[in-house]
This record gives sequence, structure tokens and C-alpha cells, in this order.
Amino acid sequence: MPGPFAYIIWLVNILCEIAVVVCAFRKETLRRYFLLILYMVGLVASDIGRYKILAEYGLSSKQYQYFYYYSDSVVTIFLFFALSTLYSHVFSELNAESYVKMGTVLLLAGTALFTYSVVAQSSAKLVTNFVIQLSQNLYFVGLVLTYVLWGAILKLRETRTRLIQLVLSLGVYFSLIAANYAIRNLYPSLSTVFVPLVQVFATFLPLAWAYAFWRLPEEARLSPARLAVIPR
Amino acid sequence: MSKKLVVVLLVMLVLVGAMGLKTLVTAHADGLVMMAAGGAPAPPTPYKAGGAPAPPTPYRAGGAPAPPTPY
Repeated sequence: MPGPFAYIIWLVNILCEIAVVVCAFRKETLRRYFLLILYMVGLVASDIGRYKILAEYGLSSKQYQYFYYYSDSVVTIFLFFALSTLYSHVFSELNAESYVKMGTVLLLAGTALFTYSVVAQSSAKLVTNFVIQLSQNLYFVGLVLTYVLWGAILKLRETRTRLIQLVLSLGVYFSLIAANYAIRNLYPSLSTVFVPLVQVFATFLPLAWAYAFWRLPEEARLSPARLAVIPR
Repeated sequence: MSKKLVVVLLVMLVLVGAMGLKTLVTAHADGLVMMAAGGAPAPPTPYKAGGAPAPPTPYRAGGAPAPPTPY
């Protein structure tokens, strides 16, 4: 069973996720950022389900393993759609919403197809392997998409502070998890340090989003000069 | 039509970039799975039977050229 530190971090994480939903509701931004909030609601639901199964069956049980990785996959798909919402907001002035939707569906289908073609090589536990690998691949697609979006924000001189905060925090979160994963692979002996760190990093995103919804009004603007130096 | 083709091209570029990045990051992976969503403690992956440490892959031992895969 996990230690008290893991439980405390997990509890803080759930509270931060609930805070995002509450802040978005209080600031009346539910409709505007619906898919982001849906992602947070999905996280809360999966965390509650995970806790219930963990308490009943234990960390190494098949029930917890399957529920953990299948729910992770579903929530990562929610995150992927949440990211597409951010794209829609950034490109809203270009009337490119239909293209963003088309790109989102194509990318999801392409990632699923690629994952299946790789996983189909091994016949053992095909569905489970597919679900886990799809989640991993979507994660890396999300990482690249976030950096591309940040480039677009700089290029288009986006000034909406809340939107910038949402995108930047997502970029930092993706980068932290990817760096942690790479270090764990390079130095497996350090896993005891870096595996618990994933839980700490997981609290960063809901915390940053809760701050963005609570403290930054929709009308707040940043001057472009504070984002990037553009030569004249 | 050309805008739709640009979207398709961008999608393919992102997919190639993401999978390239994944290959780079998981170059030394031995079955580790990245836990991304939520703060719950991660269990071992279900498709890894048993808790024994993974042995080195057979095709890395020695300097002989690798044979074609049986399938």
C-alpha cells in the first residue's frame, strides 16, 4: 500500500482539481472552457474511482492496475480535446475553428492507427497494451501540440493573459512529466525518488489552472513585448 | 481544399514529431509506463507478468548481425 506522503499529495491533488471546477463555475467560464473543465471533472471522477478500488483491492491488484491504466487513457483523451479547445481560442480570430476540429479528429485517428499498428505486433493482451500505448502516444502528441501552440501564441502576439497562463502551465506540466520519465529511464536506480515526484508534478496543472480561473479575469491582457522580443 | 491539405500535412508532422520524441525519450525504457493523469499512486503495468527484473534483450548480446524477425 502507498505511504502517508502519497495519500497526502493525492488528496491535495484532488482538492486542486475540484478547485479548478469551482473557480470556473464561480467565474462563469464553464461554457467558454467546457472541455478543460470536463477534463478536470474526469480527473476527479477517476481519482475517486481509483481510491475506492485501491482501498478495496490494493496497489498490486489486477482490478487497480486495469482501472488505473484504462481511466488514464480516457482522461488523456479528454486532455487532448481540452488542448484542441485552447487551439480554437487562439485561432478564433482567424475563423479556423473547423480546421482545428478537423485536425483534432485526424490526429486522434492517426495516433490510434499508429498505436494499433505497433501494438498488433504483439499478440499478448492486445487491448490492454493498446489502451496503455494510446495514452502514452497521445501524451507525446499533446506535448508537441502545446509547444506548437506556444509558438503560435508568440507569432500571433496573443495578449489574453488567462489563455497564455493556461497554455504555459500545460507546457510546463507536460515538460516536467516527460523529463521525469526520461530521467527514470536513464537512471532506473533513481526511481524511488522520481516515481513519487510524478504525484507532486500532477498537482501543478490543477493548481495553475485554478489560479488562472480565480485570479485572472477574462479581460486581462499582457503586452506582447512581455512575451517575446520581436526585432523591428 | 489547399487549407485542408495544409491541416493534413500539419497533423502528419505533429504525429511524426511526437513519435520521434517518444522514441528519443523511451530509448532506454525497460517497460516503464509514463503516468500522466491524476495524482494516484501508479501500479505496475498489467501486461508485465511477475515482478522479476527484465533481462537484457537477446539481440544486444554479442556482435553478430541480428536475424530477421520470425513473424
